[in-house]
Amino acid sequence: MMVNARNSEASSGTARWLVGAVVVVALFALPFILSQLGRTGEYWIWVTTEMLIMALFAMSLNLILGYGGMVSFGHAAFFGVGAYTVALLMKKAGAPLVLALALAPVTAAIAAAVIGWFCVRLIGLYFAILTLAFGQLLYMVVFQWYTFTGGDDGIHGIPKPEILTPIAYYLLCLVLFLICFLVMRMIMNSSFGLTIRTIRENMERAKFIGVNVRRFQWYNFILAGAFAGLAGGLLCELNRFAQTEFLHWSKSAEPILASLVGGMYSLVGPAIGSAVLIFLKIIVQQAHPSLVETWAIFLGLILLVVVLFAPGGLVGLYQRLTGKSET
Amino acid sequence: MADHVLQIEKLSKSFEGSQVFNNISFAVDQGELSSIIGPNGAGKTTLFNLMTGYHVPDSGRVVFMGKDIAGRQPYDIVRLGIARAFQRTNIFPRMSVLENLVSTVITKNRGNLNVVTPSAKLKSAHERSYEILESVGLADVAHRQSGTLAHGNQKRLDIAVALALEPQLLLLDEPTAGMSPEERWQTVELVQQLWENLKITMLFIEHDMDIVFKISQKVRVLCYRTLLAEGTPEEISSNEQVIEAYLGEEV
Repeated sequence: MMVNARNSEASSGTARWLVGAVVVVALFALPFILSQLGRTGEYWIWVTTEMLIMALFAMSLNLILGYGGMVSFGHAAFFGVGAYTVALLMKKAGAPLVLALALAPVTAAIAAAVIGWFCVRLIGLYFAILTLAFGQLLYMVVFQWYTFTGGDDGIHGIPKPEILTPIAYYLLCLVLFLICFLVMRMIMNSSFGLTIRTIRENMERAKFIGVNVRRFQWYNFILAGAFAGLAGGLLCELNRFAQTEFLHWSKSAEPILASLVGGMYSLVGPAIGSAVLIFLKIIVQQAHPSLVETWAIFLGLILLVVVLFAPGGLVGLYQRLTGKSET
Repeated sequence: MADHVLQIEKLSKSFEGSQVFNNISFAVDQGELSSIIGPNGAGKTTLFNLMTGYHVPDSGRVVFMGKDIAGRQPYDIVRLGIARAFQRTNIFPRMSVLENLVSTVITKNRGNLNVVTPSAKLKSAHERSYEILESVGLADVAHRQSGTLAHGNQKRLDIAVALALEPQLLLLDEPTAGMSPEERWQTVELVQQLWENLKITMLFIEHDMDIVFKISQKVRVLCYRTLLAEGTPEEISSNEQVIEAYLGEEV
């Protein structure tokens, strides 16, 4: 009985690796296929690059949301810090892209360490509200500090290295996305990840098995902030600008919605949710330009359906259809 | 004096003006299996909460192995060697029975900061977890999601989690609450067996007087915000004050 369970576990493990390998190969091939499609293809290379970046952002939030059970309404703060780090370093200090991208998660982690230090003292709704407050505070600082951040004009004209064709940048984002994915997976499967899950499952009991709950929530918050910072930095270079909108609370909602749609209790769920939402938004826009205004209605309907009929999101739905239990 | 594991000294606690305890003192001997009884609302669980850092006493000391631990953080007290199982089952419901144990063993060994090794591949933590599950009779259901276990088994798991912490002092808050008579006696047997095998100090809260008098070496009665009596089961069952205040005429 137990041997059987182990065997099927092992075979589903191989199946999962196989599916993963196929998806990765397809993702690497995608821009080369798209580039055959002329201008539409170029547009879609840009879109898929944005999808990868926003998927990374959504996965970073999910470290605290899905794995940690902490609802943050201020995650855009770290996304924004990463974006402005790249913008300021490249535009004002003339730093190379590699250095700027390497420092984006560092500054975001520092911001997360400071903000998180206060926030993890609270739980539930109070935690959520405090993250929102800090996020908006940072937004206002960037908005007002005109001489440094450009205020609501943002920072434009961020240099683009010669070799970075759209395809090359897509591939860079894909490689970084995959590395981040593997690192997050490693961390969440480790003892640290298990500890984070015990806190989500039962915070009181976690204290009574000897876990310093606040400290581990803080570490996790910093980790999530660092990955969000890298995502922000990547989007900044893709758009070649940084703007205050990156830090706005509405930006914090995007990974939450992506996690809901994709499924919070797996690593890929939020990434899939993020890509699906971006895709649907573009489809709606292209169906008729006037529908741009009504995207919120579509989004509302999608969320309604997900919450009512597929509370585990797309990944949960998939698991239910294939008869696998969620972990 | 030296072989007191725990000393409660002049402990007082009130919540929003209503006093739960006034000046309670007692000591728990090394290796003792003893119980705390008392009517509902006498503050039995609150006493456990004060011992384990969940509440901070207004005054008085909780001395564990020579250290005053009153007001310390729960995780700190756990590391010093006090573990507890809860009245209302307190496990990690969406994790497997095994994961409940493995996470506890990892925490006990202070291995939580390992971000590299998959927790599923930590061999010694798994072996230790299985060992504990065997000792409480849950090895068969190791891979079940713990929240789906029957109530009695969830209580067992709660005890197993506490045991994984290898405590000097184990606090059991109504280990048989909500169980069928049959399950109750199985649990009592388990508690007694664990106590004999592990040679640790155990203190439990219980409502069932048959159980209390059968297995405790010493019984403490909490009533009227104070420790009404303390003694062997025989002494307590014939103590007139206790009979009048709590046990009633029929005992």
